[in-house]
Amino acid sequence: MSISRIGTMALIAATTLFATSAQAQGREVKIYGFGAKSGVVRIFGLNSEAAMKAAADQINKAGGVTLGDGTKAKLVIEYLDDRCTAEEGINALRRIAAQPDAFVAVGPTCSNVAEPVFGILQKKVGDAGDTGLQFPVYTDVAAKGGLASMSQWAFRNVPSEAAMYKSLFDWIKATHPEVKTIWGGVEKDFAHSNATFGVMKDLATKAGFEVKGQSEWLLADTTFSTQVRELRRGEADLVMISAHPFTTCGVLKEMQRQGVKPKMMVGLTSSSSMETLQGCAAQAEGMLIPTSFAPVTADARKAAGALQAAGASMDLHNAAAWENIYTLKELIEKAKIMAKPDTIQADRQKIREALANAKETSGLLGKVGRTDDREAVKPFLFVKATKGEWAVAHKPN
Amino acid sequence: MSWIDFLDLMQSLLDGVMFGATYALIGIGFTLIFGVMHKINLSYAAASVGAAYLSLLIVQVAPAPAVYLLAALSGGVLGALVYYLCFRFLPLSQPLATLMSTVGMLLVLEEAIVHATAGMPQNYPAAFAGVVFDIGPFMLRGDLLFVFALGCAAMLGLKLMLERTRLGLATRAVAQQPVAAQLCGMSVDGTNASTFVIAGLLGGTAGAMTGAAIGVLSPLLTLPLTVKGLVVTVIGGLGSIPGAILAGLIVGGVENLFQFLRGVSERDIYVMLMLFAFLVFRPGGLFAAPGGRD
Amino acid sequence: MDFYIGLMQVIGVHTLLGLSAWCVLHTGQVSLAQGGFFAIGAYGAGMLTAMAGWPLGGALAAAALLSGLVAVTVGFPALRVKGLMLVVATTAFAEIVRLVFFNLKWQVQTPQGPVGPDGGLGFGGIRYFPAHAWSGLEVLALIWSLVAAVMLTLWWLDRSRVGTLWRAVGEDEVAAQSAGINLTIAKVSAFGIGGVIAGLAGGLFSHNTTHIEHGNFTILLATFAIAYPILGGLKSLAGTLVAVVFIQGLLIEGLRFLGDWRSLLFGALILAVMLVRPGGVLAAPLQWPTNRRKPASGTAVPQERTGHA
Repeated sequence: MSISRIGTMALIAATTLFATSAQAQGREVKIYGFGAKSGVVRIFGLNSEAAMKAAADQINKAGGVTLGDGTKAKLVIEYLDDRCTAEEGINALRRIAAQPDAFVAVGPTCSNVAEPVFGILQKKVGDAGDTGLQFPVYTDVAAKGGLASMSQWAFRNVPSEAAMYKSLFDWIKATHPEVKTIWGGVEKDFAHSNATFGVMKDLATKAGFEVKGQSEWLLADTTFSTQVRELRRGEADLVMISAHPFTTCGVLKEMQRQGVKPKMMVGLTSSSSMETLQGCAAQAEGMLIPTSFAPVTADARKAAGALQAAGASMDLHNAAAWENIYTLKELIEKAKIMAKPDTIQADRQKIREALANAKETSGLLGKVGRTDDREAVKPFLFVKATKGEWAVAHKPN
Repeated sequence: MSWIDFLDLMQSLLDGVMFGATYALIGIGFTLIFGVMHKINLSYAAASVGAAYLSLLIVQVAPAPAVYLLAALSGGVLGALVYYLCFRFLPLSQPLATLMSTVGMLLVLEEAIVHATAGMPQNYPAAFAGVVFDIGPFMLRGDLLFVFALGCAAMLGLKLMLERTRLGLATRAVAQQPVAAQLCGMSVDGTNASTFVIAGLLGGTAGAMTGAAIGVLSPLLTLPLTVKGLVVTVIGGLGSIPGAILAGLIVGGVENLFQFLRGVSERDIYVMLMLFAFLVFRPGGLFAAPGGRD
Repeated sequence: MDFYIGLMQVIGVHTLLGLSAWCVLHTGQVSLAQGGFFAIGAYGAGMLTAMAGWPLGGALAAAALLSGLVAVTVGFPALRVKGLMLVVATTAFAEIVRLVFFNLKWQVQTPQGPVGPDGGLGFGGIRYFPAHAWSGLEVLALIWSLVAAVMLTLWWLDRSRVGTLWRAVGEDEVAAQSAGINLTIAKVSAFGIGGVIAGLAGGLFSHNTTHIEHGNFTILLATFAIAYPILGGLKSLAGTLVAVVFIQGLLIEGLRFLGDWRSLLFGALILAVMLVRPGGVLAAPLQWPTNRRKPASGTAVPQERTGHA
């Protein structure tokens, strides 16, 4: 092998090693985040990062975080991009866990990353026979049901879609007796929409509706004429669509084209964001979606405002990221985290304990409960697409 | 099968064939480049969608036809860019190099789109959006008919260009015998560049029409369109433009037909199996390319 | 340390994937099917350890052999076509495999609940490594010993008659056929061996990530698979390894300090490498992009092989 080739390989190796070293400076407490900042789902990562940083700003303005020895420290956020792929998500978390100042991570944003990432964590704390990673993860966005039960190091602050849709269907049954039949539409190849559709169908049936059938499509589909025709023939009173904004808009536009006007429409939680309104505000008019965020309380309005000033908008996903930062600040103080390189292993255990014992945390819409499975029980409300905005339709108690 | 079901089947087939017009437009570009340079340009669909995104720059101030025109022009510019970055300086003795360079280009274009729009779907102006023709029990989408007409016009225009103009003559000469063409004084690089620009113009139009047909643009479109474009090129016959159009319609129709019959999970399997059938029974595609090496 | 071990594990798995594509590219065929064999290996090995309780070695071997068998079966009809048509045919095959796994629903009851592929929701719970107390270093050792074994086998094959046959078919099919080489056997054998290696890589992948779903095995993965040998240089096995380190180590992990620019630069750097080293990183000496095209090895006619795309 020639000198130049050896040199090239050495250069590549050296750059890799150098580029991965972290720099620590000053009295700071660092919370890491990771999520998708590339690809179609980039907006989730961008929003989460913005919310985390805005929350940290507010906390720092109010004096910062009090550490175990009484000193005040600045809260710093560092966000890693996992590109919504399993391998990079695992790499990102391992990279975070290798940092001498990391004791907790917020993320990921994609459900198909959360499942592998939780899978590599140690299942039960203290199990010496389990060589999984021992690092607490506090999820803000990835919402596929039941994932936190995979490991005692995994905690989630995502809304329980089962609870939300149950409440929604019960409310629709109570307030709209003329709606009796439902036709479903589902995006089959994305973990979240596929799983949630099963939940929606189940709860709608339990609430007393007749689910006459369903139409299916794929995440990147571009033509929906067959599916919408099925929908039209079904002649159902209510159409429930479990899909992300791109295909939701495609289907709604096709419905408009074929003249399908159901009495009511219900959508997927993730679609209660700007994306849907940007794509098809006119066609989405009247769509009802349960969500765990709307600027209806003082806290919520303040947070939304702070984020607006930073150039982003708040929706149910990054509201959870904001809440996570505030919760972690409280827990850092309660557990007397020291955030020094020699205490960092102990800090991880302490913060995990603190998260596990926090049966109730504060959210922007009210108190957030906790299940035994480390999932969250979040207050929610229903929003309706009205004239290009998501307006509050009903606030269940 | 009841009468209604049969009507729905025919309507699905019809809708699919109409939507296949968008696949046809993409296929024409792929097959044109392959026919002339015998190389695949994997970034073609990404450049087409990118051109449609670029045309969004004037969407607030200009009417739909102007937006489409800008998409076509941007497509031409992107086509020239792709040629100069990915093909011009790569030696012909390394055919796999251009495959990789266009893959790199595809990734760059897609990420550029994602970064510019944060990945969110963008509303795209539709031409003849509300126009539907009711022929008996069937409904024909006016905008897809327009796309189909555009595809035919493109084919006619290309045919005329290839057979009646000097540039077309040069293109055909360079495709058949590059060395002899060079000896006759034709600039191989110039001709190839023009081919890319023309394919780019078509691609930009295809991107715009696809966006108009769906109503929204999303970076999700690039990979599936690339795969469909390749499938259409192969079924139509490498280098054959009428083949690409016909193949696009067939793929669109078969896709929707199996969507109706077997549902979304199995639909693409059947499209791929149809491709295999073509490869086994008619490897030259529908129309084998005219000319070529002796 | 854990992070570097994890990164080396990923590099190892991707090197195997790249080597499987190297085999096939060596005989002059561009195959985008390696992702499909990777998927078969991943699901196969995962199902054997998580659902049937097989030991890891047996599961990996069985999955790799299954992928090889599928490769040979698909190879016979598919390899009758060349060039762009082969690219599309292999793409179609890989998509079919992905869609099959998208539809596959087969779960068994275990004490921890139902385990098995659940259609679009994926296949989780492949926790063989953590549950059997494998440390990161042990997994790393396993992966890299397999990589070394495969590289050694391929190097030995390359130096033997088999390698000569493959290279002959890769350079010029007509000449090879005239020399009496059975094209089909050569191509299918390369395809089959590539399938076995890809299946092995897939088995390691699913155990590394503990959860797999159809979305892991798209055309993009297949494109990465052929990118590694092409970027590394087809003439050398080490080139594939260098390319994997370059892409996974440098472009993906090493450039994290660039923040948002990382994903934009990803494609741009691949393009750049191809411009300055069209033969691959470990191929001919460096050449700057030049306006004058030098004729290839003295012939005036630029090579237009119908066997290449």
